[in-house]
Amino acid sequence: MVNGNRRRILKAGAAAGALGTLGLPLEAWSQAGDIVVGAAPPITGVFAFAGVGLNAGLADYCEWRNTKGGVAGRKLRYISEDSGYKVDQSVAIFKKIMANNKPPVFYGDSTGWAKAIAPEVSSLGTVMTCSPSFSSDLANPEKVPFYFMAGPTYEAMVAILLEYIQRNAKGSQKPTVAFVYSDTEFGRDPIAASKARAEKMGIPVVLEVITKPGAVDVSAEMIRMRRAKPDYVIFHGYVLAPIPEFLRQMREAGLKSVGMGTIWSMDRSTLDAMGAAGDGFTGIMPYRYSFDYVRTPAFTEMEAFGSRKPNNPWQTMFYTHGWLVGTLFSEIIDRTLKAKKELTGPNMKAALESIEKFDTGGIFGVPISMKNHSIPVGRVYKVDYTGRNVVADSDWITIAS
Amino acid sequence: MRVGDFKASYAHDEALFDTPTQRAWFGVLIVAALAFPLLGGNYLTYLACLLGIHLIAATGLNIITGYTGLISLGHAAFMGVGCYVAAWLANKGVPFWLTLPAAGLVTALVGVVVGIPSLRIKGLYLAVATLAAQFVLGFVFREWESFTGGVRGANIPPADLFGLALNTDTRLYYLILGLVVAMLAAARNLFRTRVGRAFIAIRDRDISAEVLGISLFHYKLLAFAIGSFYAGVAGGLFGYFFRAVTPEVFGFAQSIFYLAAIIVGGLGSILGTVLGAVFMTMMPEILRTALTIVEQLGVSDAGVFLAPLRAVVFGLLIVGFLILEPHGLAEIWRRVRRFFHLWPFRT
Repeated sequence: MVNGNRRRILKAGAAAGALGTLGLPLEAWSQAGDIVVGAAPPITGVFAFAGVGLNAGLADYCEWRNTKGGVAGRKLRYISEDSGYKVDQSVAIFKKIMANNKPPVFYGDSTGWAKAIAPEVSSLGTVMTCSPSFSSDLANPEKVPFYFMAGPTYEAMVAILLEYIQRNAKGSQKPTVAFVYSDTEFGRDPIAASKARAEKMGIPVVLEVITKPGAVDVSAEMIRMRRAKPDYVIFHGYVLAPIPEFLRQMREAGLKSVGMGTIWSMDRSTLDAMGAAGDGFTGIMPYRYSFDYVRTPAFTEMEAFGSRKPNNPWQTMFYTHGWLVGTLFSEIIDRTLKAKKELTGPNMKAALESIEKFDTGGIFGVPISMKNHSIPVGRVYKVDYTGRNVVADSDWITIAS
Repeated sequence: MRVGDFKASYAHDEALFDTPTQRAWFGVLIVAALAFPLLGGNYLTYLACLLGIHLIAATGLNIITGYTGLISLGHAAFMGVGCYVAAWLANKGVPFWLTLPAAGLVTALVGVVVGIPSLRIKGLYLAVATLAAQFVLGFVFREWESFTGGVRGANIPPADLFGLALNTDTRLYYLILGLVVAMLAAARNLFRTRVGRAFIAIRDRDISAEVLGISLFHYKLLAFAIGSFYAGVAGGLFGYFFRAVTPEVFGFAQSIFYLAAIIVGGLGSILGTVLGAVFMTMMPEILRTALTIVEQLGVSDAGVFLAPLRAVVFGLLIVGFLILEPHGLAEIWRRVRRFFHLWPFRT
């Protein structure tokens, strides 16, 4: 029996190996009519902290959707390979899955990926793409017609923070703002537009600090911070470091500045890692947290479905993002098929752009509409370290322009 | 069994391929390479293009480090120079047949400047000097917005060669294949000339080389120029291949990638460069395919739990090769060939 099993496994392995070597699609054996959702999530590499959750969220959504009958009566089939957060590898995975499985929708891993495959996606005209990138460059339906983002652009995120600052201004004097950002494409993305917006809103930008991503020693920058005494410090282009170090030194220097972050600094695990220094840290989250005081249908399903598996990161915002991407992919496909159109890029683009006041099951607190292939909605949350909680500190804010 | 290699003429002695068997196999290789996109599909053609670009870049590094003994940790930055020059020129409307050589030549000039410290220092000190160049050039890529597009990078229009748009992987493949063959042949021939032998003499003992009349100033900088030219051409091709470039692509990790490729393949060997580049490019893909197969055999979530192991296995393979054969994959290849040549006798 043991030998029999071993032989069977060896035979299956040999067959699979042979097919794999030839680059043939193993999935080609499975039933026709499935809708393939391709993905190159960064399960390893520097973005793995998010990639595992992104992958799990999207995979679980496809599985969950199939239990509800799939999309327009067709099952979703999720095919993914780890990109390691390397552009050449994620592009390779895209080409491989496109050649073998021809998915109408594909989820990549980065801004670099989205930019690298954009010309091919445009010329193919058969696939709608998305990724964890919220780069403002990509919210451009003319230049990148078959890409959308499941949330606001980084520019819109900072705009939401500025709106929050303005709404919370007391007295006649406008609060002052400092921008601290990493010297990366990610870090610099929203800065120029945000400075212009702040000026337009009459919010003085009193300091601009550029650091290395993950910098540790911020003493020199803190000297400038102490002089500028901003009311708000907006951090962007980081996950964790150097934010806690800045916050700690700001407290030690007696500054009352409020630290603020954008999406990738706002997962609960990251906020917890800030420790006591993170008390009062405020930031923009496009989605509800899984522990939000309001229980919505989407989170009920995520918990019920995700918690069945051990070590499933269903509580993280990364998982929520993956689930949301699955929701939007399905909605695009559903609208296209219901309009009795083929799943081509232009048809799916039309379906994407037709999304108006769409209920995401409560992932967003308001019905969403696509604007420049992005969703300019978010809410500001604040860390309550004493209560060990992250609480909503604003209504849902939509950026009109 | 082959017992010897009798050479009856100077032409035979100077031939790149000295046996009919070698020539036949090379012919088969060329035919297979020409037919490859027709049989391999889009994904494998993409990988072949990427491999070709890595091959050209790694050959450049092998000229500097493997053949001349000048350690360079800034090779990816050289590639970046080539890529940005090609991008800038392409966006100015300069035809493709001019942008690629220009990318190589400008990079060669930058390489000469970076190579100046090699006249006074060598070994680890030179490694640090070239490392500095890597970071200085990285800074330039990020900050010189009017030329590089800054951190947001630049887009590159598709290459157009005499009216033929090289806008697909298959078309680019043939261009890259041609360049790979030409540039590897040039590198192979370089080391049969006075210049190449001067490089090797410098690597083996620079003081002795100088005593023999080899100008260290001239040849060290020439080695940097030629190696950087290769990197610049590879960078230009990289830009045309991906059509978008950001500074992060040409980081320090990429320089280490090329250094690892030539060490694993075999320093001072063109064959080693080829084998090293193939190993470094294909092994992660092979490991990922293996993981996919494991998952498809029914091991649930293998992709998530085993994915981090790929990096470990990849690292162990590199270490394993280095321990078992410090002279690289090229030496393993030679041993395998020798075994078949001498069979049934043992080496």
